[in-house]
Amino acid sequence: MELFFQTLLNGLLQSGLYALVASGLALAVGVVGIVNFAHGEFLMIGAFLAWGASAYLGVDPLLSLPLVAVAVFAVGALTYRVSIRHVLLAPELNQMLLTFGLGILLQNLALMLLGGNTRTVTTPYQGSSLSLGDLSVGGPKMIAFGLAVVILAGLYAVLYRTNLGRQMRAVAQNRRGSQLIGIDVDRVYLIAFGVSCGLAAVAGVLVATLLFASPTVGLVFALKAFAIIVMAGLGNLTGVLWASVVLGVSEALVQTYVPGGGGWSDAVFFLLIFATLVFRSFRGAR
Amino acid sequence: MSRAMETSRTVTRRPDFTARALVPLGLFFGLALVFPFLPLGTRAEYLLQIAFFTLVAAILALSWDILARSGQVSLAHAAFYGLGAYGFALLGKVMPWFAAMPLAALIAGLVSLILGAVTLRLSGMYFAIATLAFTEVVRTIIQNLPESVAGGANGLLVPALLGGNARAQYFLAFGVLLFTALVSLAIRRSRLHHAFAAIRQGEETARVLGVSVVRYKLAAFFISSFLAALGGVLFAGKTFFINPLETFSLANSIAPLTTSIFGGLYTTLGPMLGATVLRVAEELLHNSVKNGYLVVYGLVLMLTILWLPRGLMGLLRRGKHGGEL
Repeated sequence: MELFFQTLLNGLLQSGLYALVASGLALAVGVVGIVNFAHGEFLMIGAFLAWGASAYLGVDPLLSLPLVAVAVFAVGALTYRVSIRHVLLAPELNQMLLTFGLGILLQNLALMLLGGNTRTVTTPYQGSSLSLGDLSVGGPKMIAFGLAVVILAGLYAVLYRTNLGRQMRAVAQNRRGSQLIGIDVDRVYLIAFGVSCGLAAVAGVLVATLLFASPTVGLVFALKAFAIIVMAGLGNLTGVLWASVVLGVSEALVQTYVPGGGGWSDAVFFLLIFATLVFRSFRGAR
Repeated sequence: MSRAMETSRTVTRRPDFTARALVPLGLFFGLALVFPFLPLGTRAEYLLQIAFFTLVAAILALSWDILARSGQVSLAHAAFYGLGAYGFALLGKVMPWFAAMPLAALIAGLVSLILGAVTLRLSGMYFAIATLAFTEVVRTIIQNLPESVAGGANGLLVPALLGGNARAQYFLAFGVLLFTALVSLAIRRSRLHHAFAAIRQGEETARVLGVSVVRYKLAAFFISSFLAALGGVLFAGKTFFINPLETFSLANSIAPLTTSIFGGLYTTLGPMLGATVLRVAEELLHNSVKNGYLVVYGLVLMLTILWLPRGLMGLLRRGKHGGEL
């Protein structure tokens, strides 16, 4: 029983990180209407920036986090300006392929400049652990989860309590209608896409403290984020939260209870995507 | 841009198969045929190898394009390519290559029908994600099978094709590409072409017009995967060794897609031209840049989408319509 609760706890903690990545992606999909296949690469940039700040400047990742977020927000906004903006009205296929190309470009640029090695970030709280009754949790994991919760709470507060957030939701619902009532749609898109990338970067910083930074680190998180937003329904921001928990916990359960589970747990999210998509398609939705 | 992916609005038009339209294709194959006999000096062996992989890239790109013609933009090409490679690695041990090769392709083709059936009602990004997921599932399964079956994560030794004779292997690849091109041309001439175009441009409309969408979509999947698996066999038989991580890597799904789009979607010559240009560029870059030469693919994909939506073929016949091959 203890093992079971430990597993649940691990899954839950992991899902905080997933929710962070996925809510960024859901923002791009929901507001801008762009399925950003390069989302994982923005996460990767965040992870490398955190590693660089720590290795060269000696800045703790948690301190560099806000700066990284702002920097990647700017990168995202720039990306929107030079590329995404030009395909907003193009067929979905073109949009998909464009972001796909961007992802390959960024990933291999990192590979070219930094090599394929994984870089770890050392932090003073790395080996620490917390015990809650019989259960124990790694310090970095706990911090990552806490931060994810705080940031997500912030995101939802912005979306539901501020003017900008209302504009974003309005644009998400109806682009032309928003234009008619005087919302600067292009500006909202720019900000939403930037924030989406910024969120990925924040997740990247956390990934750097939990795992490592490497050119391909983003891919698996992006794929899982896709699984999550597909489960939640495209662009459904609140659905992202429970879908993240479903994914995190089911992965943890597979890891604990399936023999040789380490290898199979990575297939869990694909099974979830597959199941959801097939279920949806046979129910008639698209 | 919206016309980008819909180059052939004129579906009812009879494809004009004039001799002139076939000239570039003939030229391509003619050049490919004499390539091994050119006096290339000391680097001949290396150049032949590049040419071999260019042919394989062209096979993969063209087979991807055939599937794309039916409106199914797949990210599962690596799966069928990989199934071909693995199928050949396992079957090649118990039977001669000329039996193992088509059988491996047939297996991949049959597996593709499963994926095709499951994803029949998905479109756009849902389809892309489902096919991406499928590739990962296949990889995970092969990686987690007992090592005695498929080599697990460490990979598998493959019996060398044609005793490792580089020139013979090259001509085999040439033959497979020729076969692929003929299939592509045959499709262009048959009902399939019109059915695919109708489905791509509007599935509901196609259905109303009486096109049996399910059958044609599955046919596209089967043909495409069969040919992709032949490419996988060639690759595996050339390199002697395959492992799940590289064989099923995303790069193997991206490359055919990028190549086709760069060369010119829904054409026979386009993917082959694209493969030639990109493979050569990749090889040149590979010499100077150790890691990350896939950068080219990313950049080419972005630039093509933004500025060259009809690909190289669009450049070649700027302003002209019809006569597409």
